[in-house]
Amino acid sequence: MSSNNITVHHGEEINNSTGVSNKKLLMWAFLGSDVMFFGTFIGTFMAYRNKSLNGPYPADTLDIPITTVSTFVLLMSSLGIVLALHYLKESKMGLAKFWLFAVIVMGLIFMGFQVYEFSHFAHIGMTPQVNLFGSTFFTLTSLHGAHVSLGILWLIFLLYNEFNGNLTSDNAVDLEIAGLYWHFVDIVWILIFGLLYLITAGDGVPPGGIPWEGAH
Amino acid sequence: MSFLKDLFEHDGNGWWKIPKTSEAEPNPKNEHPFGDFIKRTKAFIVWLTSGKGHAGPAYYWVIALILGLITLVEVWWFEQDGLRYILVPAMLGFSMVKFILVVAFFMHLRFDHKLFSWIFVTCMVIGVFIFSLFILLSAFHGYGN
Repeated sequence: MSSNNITVHHGEEINNSTGVSNKKLLMWAFLGSDVMFFGTFIGTFMAYRNKSLNGPYPADTLDIPITTVSTFVLLMSSLGIVLALHYLKESKMGLAKFWLFAVIVMGLIFMGFQVYEFSHFAHIGMTPQVNLFGSTFFTLTSLHGAHVSLGILWLIFLLYNEFNGNLTSDNAVDLEIAGLYWHFVDIVWILIFGLLYLITAGDGVPPGGIPWEGAH
Repeated sequence: MSFLKDLFEHDGNGWWKIPKTSEAEPNPKNEHPFGDFIKRTKAFIVWLTSGKGHAGPAYYWVIALILGLITLVEVWWFEQDGLRYILVPAMLGFSMVKFILVVAFFMHLRFDHKLFSWIFVTCMVIGVFIFSLFILLSAFHGYGN
Protein backbone atom coordinates (compact mmCIF):
# COMPACT_ATOMS: atom_id res chain seq x y z
CA MET A 1 0.00 0.00 0.00
CA SER A 2 1.38 3.40 -0.81
CA SER A 3 0.32 7.00 -1.17
CA ASN A 4 2.28 9.90 -2.65
CA ASN A 5 5.21 9.81 -0.28
CA ILE A 6 4.35 7.09 2.24
CA THR A 7 4.84 3.34 1.86
CA VAL A 8 3.35 0.97 4.42
CA HIS A 9 5.55 -2.08 4.95
CA HIS A 10 4.57 -4.58 7.68
CA GLY A 11 2.57 -1.94 9.49
CA GLU A 12 5.50 0.46 9.44
CA GLU A 13 5.00 3.73 7.56
CA ILE A 14 8.12 4.42 5.53
CA ASN A 15 8.55 7.96 4.28
CA ASN A 16 9.74 7.70 0.68
CA SER A 17 11.70 10.94 0.83
CA THR A 18 13.77 9.92 3.86
CA GLY A 19 13.54 6.12 3.55
CA VAL A 20 12.90 5.69 7.25
CA SER A 21 9.91 5.00 9.47
CA ASN A 22 8.05 8.17 10.42
CA LYS A 23 7.33 6.85 13.91
CA LYS A 24 10.97 5.99 14.57
CA LEU A 25 12.13 9.31 13.15
CA LEU A 26 9.76 11.15 15.46
CA MET A 27 10.94 9.14 18.46
CA TRP A 28 14.63 9.72 17.70
CA ALA A 29 13.96 13.45 17.28
CA PHE A 30 12.15 13.47 20.64
CA LEU A 31 14.97 11.55 22.31
CA GLY A 32 17.46 14.02 20.83
CA SER A 33 15.54 16.90 22.43
CA ASP A 34 15.34 14.96 25.70
CA VAL A 35 19.13 14.52 25.68
CA MET A 36 19.49 18.31 25.73
CA PHE A 37 16.77 18.57 28.38
CA PHE A 38 18.50 16.16 30.74
CA GLY A 39 21.93 17.57 29.79
CA THR A 40 20.77 20.89 31.24
CA PHE A 41 19.58 19.40 34.51
CA ILE A 42 22.62 17.14 34.98
CA GLY A 43 24.83 20.15 34.16
CA THR A 44 22.98 22.24 36.75
CA PHE A 45 23.41 19.52 39.35
CA MET A 46 27.14 19.28 38.68
CA ALA A 47 27.53 23.08 38.59
CA TYR A 48 26.00 23.37 42.07
CA ARG A 49 28.01 20.44 43.41
CA ASN A 50 29.65 21.29 46.75
CA LYS A 51 27.96 24.70 46.88
CA SER A 52 25.36 24.01 49.55
CA LEU A 53 26.44 25.83 52.70
CA ASN A 54 24.04 24.00 54.98
CA GLY A 55 23.16 20.32 55.26
CA PRO A 56 22.14 17.70 54.63
CA TYR A 57 25.02 16.99 52.26
CA PRO A 58 25.32 14.08 49.82
CA ALA A 59 27.51 12.10 52.24
CA ASP A 60 24.71 12.37 54.85
CA THR A 61 21.96 11.15 52.58
CA LEU A 62 22.84 9.07 49.51
CA ASP A 63 22.63 5.30 49.99
CA ILE A 64 24.73 3.64 47.29
CA PRO A 65 23.89 -0.06 47.99
CA ILE A 66 20.14 0.58 47.61
CA THR A 67 20.59 2.69 44.48
CA THR A 68 22.88 0.01 43.00
CA VAL A 69 20.06 -2.52 43.29
CA SER A 70 17.53 -0.18 41.66
CA THR A 71 20.07 0.63 38.90
CA PHE A 72 20.56 -3.07 38.25
CA VAL A 73 16.79 -3.59 38.05
CA LEU A 74 16.46 -0.80 35.48
CA LEU A 75 19.39 -2.17 33.44
CA MET A 76 17.76 -5.60 33.36
CA SER A 77 14.47 -4.04 32.27
CA SER A 78 16.31 -2.80 29.18
CA LEU A 79 17.26 -6.40 28.46
CA GLY A 80 13.64 -7.40 29.01
CA ILE A 81 12.22 -4.96 26.50
CA VAL A 82 14.71 -5.88 23.80
CA LEU A 83 13.78 -9.55 24.34
CA ALA A 84 10.06 -8.70 24.25
CA LEU A 85 10.59 -6.99 20.89
CA HIS A 86 12.69 -9.87 19.56
CA TYR A 87 10.03 -12.45 20.42
CA LEU A 88 7.22 -10.24 19.13
CA LYS A 89 8.97 -9.96 15.75
CA GLU A 90 9.27 -13.77 15.72
CA SER A 91 5.55 -14.04 16.63
CA LYS A 92 6.40 -15.93 19.84
CA MET A 93 3.59 -14.18 21.64
CA GLY A 94 3.87 -16.04 24.95
CA LEU A 95 7.49 -15.01 25.45
CA ALA A 96 6.80 -11.50 24.15
CA LYS A 97 4.02 -11.03 26.71
CA PHE A 98 6.13 -12.52 29.50
CA TRP A 99 9.05 -10.15 28.91
CA LEU A 100 6.84 -7.11 28.46
CA PHE A 101 5.13 -7.95 31.74
CA ALA A 102 8.53 -8.46 33.37
CA VAL A 103 9.66 -5.01 32.18
CA ILE A 104 6.55 -3.41 33.68
CA VAL A 105 7.22 -5.18 36.99
CA MET A 106 10.88 -4.08 36.96
CA GLY A 107 9.82 -0.51 36.19
CA LEU A 108 7.42 -0.59 39.14
CA ILE A 109 10.16 -1.99 41.39
CA PHE A 110 12.45 0.86 40.32
CA MET A 111 9.73 3.39 41.10
CA GLY A 112 9.19 1.68 44.46
CA PHE A 113 12.87 2.24 45.26
CA GLN A 114 12.54 5.90 44.29
CA VAL A 115 9.45 6.39 46.45
CA TYR A 116 11.29 4.75 49.37
CA GLU A 117 14.34 6.96 48.79
CA PHE A 118 12.31 10.16 48.56
CA SER A 119 10.28 9.38 51.69
CA HIS A 120 13.48 8.47 53.58
CA PHE A 121 15.07 11.77 52.54
CA ALA A 122 11.99 13.70 53.59
CA HIS A 123 12.07 11.87 56.93
CA ILE A 124 15.66 12.91 57.67
CA GLY A 125 14.99 16.49 56.59
CA MET A 126 16.26 16.61 53.04
CA THR A 127 13.66 18.36 50.92
CA PRO A 128 13.84 20.33 47.63
CA GLN A 129 13.86 23.67 49.46
CA VAL A 130 16.49 22.86 52.09
CA ASN A 131 19.60 23.63 49.99
CA LEU A 132 21.06 23.63 46.45
CA PHE A 133 21.83 19.92 46.62
CA GLY A 134 18.21 19.12 47.56
CA SER A 135 16.77 21.37 44.84
CA THR A 136 18.91 20.00 42.02
CA PHE A 137 18.72 16.39 43.22
CA PHE A 138 14.94 16.29 43.51
CA THR A 139 14.41 18.18 40.24
CA LEU A 140 16.59 15.79 38.27
CA THR A 141 15.55 12.49 39.84
CA SER A 142 11.84 13.31 39.92
CA LEU A 143 11.92 14.33 36.24
CA HIS A 144 13.52 10.98 35.50
CA GLY A 145 10.92 9.27 37.68
CA ALA A 146 8.17 11.02 35.70
CA HIS A 147 9.70 9.63 32.50
CA VAL A 148 9.79 6.11 33.98
CA SER A 149 6.16 6.41 35.14
CA LEU A 150 5.05 7.52 31.68
CA GLY A 151 7.00 4.61 30.18
CA ILE A 152 5.27 2.13 32.51
CA LEU A 153 1.83 3.44 31.47
CA TRP A 154 2.82 3.16 27.81
CA LEU A 155 4.03 -0.44 28.28
CA ILE A 156 0.85 -1.40 30.16
CA PHE A 157 -1.15 -0.06 27.20
CA LEU A 158 0.99 -2.13 24.79
CA LEU A 159 0.63 -5.28 26.93
CA TYR A 160 -3.14 -4.77 26.93
CA ASN A 161 -2.99 -4.54 23.12
CA GLU A 162 -0.88 -7.71 22.97
CA PHE A 163 -3.50 -9.62 24.95
CA ASN A 164 -6.23 -8.22 22.70
CA GLY A 165 -4.35 -9.28 19.59
CA ASN A 166 -3.85 -5.69 18.45
CA LEU A 167 -0.08 -5.80 18.83
CA THR A 168 1.52 -8.45 16.63
CA SER A 169 4.68 -8.89 14.57
CA ASP A 170 2.98 -6.84 11.84
CA ASN A 171 3.03 -3.68 13.93
CA ALA A 172 6.06 -4.48 16.10
CA VAL A 173 7.33 -0.97 15.39
CA ASP A 174 4.87 0.26 18.05
CA LEU A 175 6.77 -1.74 20.67
CA GLU A 176 10.08 -0.76 19.08
CA ILE A 177 9.51 2.96 19.60
CA ALA A 178 8.28 2.34 23.16
CA GLY A 179 11.48 0.31 23.61
CA LEU A 180 13.59 3.21 22.34
CA TYR A 181 11.95 5.46 24.93
CA TRP A 182 12.53 2.89 27.68
CA HIS A 183 16.20 2.41 26.76
CA PHE A 184 16.63 6.18 26.78
CA VAL A 185 15.21 6.35 30.30
CA ASP A 186 17.74 3.66 31.19
CA ILE A 187 20.74 5.54 29.73
CA VAL A 188 19.72 8.73 31.52
CA TRP A 189 19.73 6.75 34.77
CA ILE A 190 23.15 5.32 33.86
CA LEU A 191 24.45 8.90 33.76
CA ILE A 192 22.58 9.94 36.90
CA PHE A 193 23.91 6.93 38.82
CA GLY A 194 27.49 7.57 37.69
CA LEU A 195 27.55 11.37 38.01
CA LEU A 196 24.95 12.18 40.64
CA TYR A 197 25.31 9.25 43.00
CA LEU A 198 28.78 7.73 42.75
CA ILE A 199 30.75 10.94 42.19
CA THR A 200 28.94 13.09 44.75
CA ALA A 201 28.11 10.49 47.41
CA GLY A 202 31.38 11.22 49.21
CA ASP A 203 30.85 15.00 49.27
CA GLY A 204 30.70 16.29 52.81
CA VAL A 205 30.80 19.81 54.21
CA PRO A 206 32.31 22.24 51.66
CA PRO A 207 34.66 25.10 52.69
CA GLY A 208 32.57 27.65 54.61
CA GLY A 209 29.70 25.20 55.07
CA ILE A 210 27.92 24.44 58.34
CA PRO A 211 28.16 20.79 59.49
CA TRP A 212 24.83 19.03 59.48
CA GLU A 213 23.63 17.70 62.81
CA GLY A 214 20.69 15.68 61.58
CA ALA A 215 16.98 16.40 61.36
CA HIS A 216 15.56 18.60 64.12
CA MET B 1 49.40 -27.02 -14.93
CA SER B 2 46.08 -26.29 -13.37
CA PHE B 3 45.36 -30.03 -13.23
CA LEU B 4 48.71 -30.73 -11.52
CA LYS B 5 48.12 -27.92 -9.10
CA ASP B 6 44.74 -29.37 -8.23
CA LEU B 7 46.29 -32.83 -7.89
CA PHE B 8 49.18 -31.99 -5.61
CA GLU B 9 48.06 -28.91 -3.83
CA HIS B 10 45.07 -28.39 -1.73
CA ASP B 11 43.98 -26.14 1.07
CA GLY B 12 45.00 -28.57 3.74
CA ASN B 13 41.47 -29.51 4.59
CA GLY B 14 42.02 -33.22 3.94
CA TRP B 15 39.11 -33.48 1.55
CA TRP B 16 39.30 -32.87 -2.15
CA LYS B 17 37.74 -29.60 -3.24
CA ILE B 18 35.88 -29.04 -0.02
CA PRO B 19 35.53 -25.32 0.62
CA LYS B 20 37.99 -24.03 3.14
CA THR B 21 35.96 -23.51 6.27
CA SER B 22 36.79 -24.02 9.93
CA GLU B 23 34.39 -26.97 10.12
CA ALA B 24 36.11 -28.76 7.21
CA GLU B 25 39.62 -28.57 8.62
CA PRO B 26 41.19 -31.93 9.59
CA ASN B 27 42.24 -30.60 12.97
CA PRO B 28 39.76 -27.86 13.72
CA LYS B 29 41.13 -25.17 15.98
CA ASN B 30 38.02 -25.43 18.06
CA GLU B 31 38.38 -29.16 18.74
CA HIS B 32 38.60 -28.94 22.52
CA PRO B 33 36.19 -28.53 25.42
CA PHE B 34 35.97 -24.77 24.89
CA GLY B 35 35.64 -25.01 21.11
CA ASP B 36 32.01 -24.06 21.02
CA PHE B 37 32.59 -21.15 23.38
CA ILE B 38 35.41 -19.82 21.19
CA LYS B 39 33.34 -20.16 18.01
CA ARG B 40 30.48 -18.28 19.62
CA THR B 41 32.82 -15.61 20.96
CA LYS B 42 34.30 -15.15 17.50
CA ALA B 43 30.82 -14.91 16.00
CA PHE B 44 29.90 -12.37 18.68
CA ILE B 45 32.95 -10.22 17.87
CA VAL B 46 32.09 -10.39 14.17
CA TRP B 47 28.55 -9.34 15.00
CA LEU B 48 29.84 -6.48 17.18
CA THR B 49 32.09 -5.14 14.49
CA SER B 50 30.18 -5.88 11.29
CA GLY B 51 27.18 -3.65 11.86
CA LYS B 52 25.04 -5.97 9.78
CA GLY B 53 24.25 -8.79 12.15
CA HIS B 54 20.86 -9.91 13.34
CA ALA B 55 21.25 -10.37 17.02
CA GLY B 56 19.58 -13.18 18.88
CA PRO B 57 18.58 -13.32 22.55
CA ALA B 58 22.00 -14.70 23.59
CA TYR B 59 23.73 -11.55 22.42
CA TYR B 60 21.32 -9.35 24.35
CA TRP B 61 22.04 -11.43 27.47
CA VAL B 62 25.78 -10.93 26.93
CA ILE B 63 25.35 -7.15 26.58
CA ALA B 64 23.23 -7.12 29.75
CA LEU B 65 25.89 -9.17 31.55
CA ILE B 66 28.59 -6.67 30.51
CA LEU B 67 26.39 -3.77 31.69
CA GLY B 68 25.83 -5.50 35.03
CA LEU B 69 29.55 -6.20 35.46
CA ILE B 70 30.48 -2.58 34.69
CA THR B 71 27.96 -1.43 37.32
CA LEU B 72 29.58 -3.75 39.87
CA VAL B 73 33.04 -2.41 38.96
CA GLU B 74 31.72 1.15 39.35
CA VAL B 75 30.47 0.43 42.86
CA TRP B 76 33.69 -1.42 43.75
CA TRP B 77 35.71 1.57 42.50
CA PHE B 78 33.57 3.93 44.55
CA GLU B 79 34.34 1.91 47.71
CA GLN B 80 38.13 2.08 47.18
CA ASP B 81 39.58 5.05 49.06
CA GLY B 82 42.86 4.69 47.18
CA LEU B 83 41.12 5.25 43.83
CA ARG B 84 39.13 8.33 44.89
CA TYR B 85 41.52 10.74 43.18
CA ILE B 86 40.45 9.48 39.75
CA LEU B 87 36.81 8.79 40.66
CA VAL B 88 35.35 11.46 38.37
CA PRO B 89 37.12 10.43 35.12
CA ALA B 90 36.58 6.75 35.93
CA MET B 91 32.84 7.20 36.49
CA LEU B 92 32.55 9.33 33.36
CA GLY B 93 34.34 6.60 31.41
CA PHE B 94 32.23 3.75 32.81
CA SER B 95 29.02 5.71 32.24
CA MET B 96 30.00 6.45 28.64
CA VAL B 97 30.79 2.78 27.92
CA LYS B 98 27.40 1.71 29.33
CA PHE B 99 25.68 4.53 27.46
CA ILE B 100 27.26 3.49 24.14
CA LEU B 101 26.46 -0.22 24.70
CA VAL B 102 22.78 0.49 25.31
CA VAL B 103 22.43 3.00 22.47
CA ALA B 104 24.37 0.94 19.92
CA PHE B 105 23.03 -2.53 20.66
CA PHE B 106 19.81 -2.36 22.69
CA MET B 107 18.52 0.66 20.74
CA HIS B 108 19.92 -0.82 17.51
CA LEU B 109 21.45 2.49 16.49
CA ARG B 110 24.47 0.61 15.16
CA PHE B 111 22.28 -1.34 12.75
CA ASP B 112 19.63 1.24 11.97
CA HIS B 113 19.42 4.04 9.43
CA LYS B 114 22.29 6.56 9.59
CA LEU B 115 19.79 9.42 9.83
CA PHE B 116 18.85 8.33 13.37
CA SER B 117 22.51 8.30 14.37
CA TRP B 118 22.99 11.80 12.99
CA ILE B 119 19.95 13.17 14.83
CA PHE B 120 20.92 11.59 18.13
CA VAL B 121 24.64 12.36 17.95
CA THR B 122 23.99 15.99 16.95
CA CYS B 123 21.64 16.47 19.90
CA MET B 124 24.12 14.63 22.12
CA VAL B 125 26.89 17.05 21.13
CA ILE B 126 24.61 20.02 21.92
CA GLY B 127 23.62 18.36 25.23
CA VAL B 128 27.27 17.82 26.21
CA PHE B 129 28.03 21.42 25.17
CA ILE B 130 25.27 22.72 27.45
CA PHE B 131 26.53 20.47 30.25
CA SER B 132 30.11 21.70 29.79
CA LEU B 133 28.94 25.32 29.65
CA PHE B 134 27.21 24.98 33.02
CA ILE B 135 30.33 23.46 34.56
CA LEU B 136 32.56 26.20 33.11
CA LEU B 137 30.22 29.00 34.20
CA SER B 138 30.11 27.53 37.66
CA ALA B 139 33.91 27.17 37.80
CA PHE B 140 34.43 30.81 36.87
CA HIS B 141 31.67 32.08 39.10
CA GLY B 142 32.98 30.73 42.40
CA TYR B 143 30.81 29.78 45.34
CA GLY B 144 27.51 31.12 44.14
CA ASN B 145 28.41 34.77 44.77
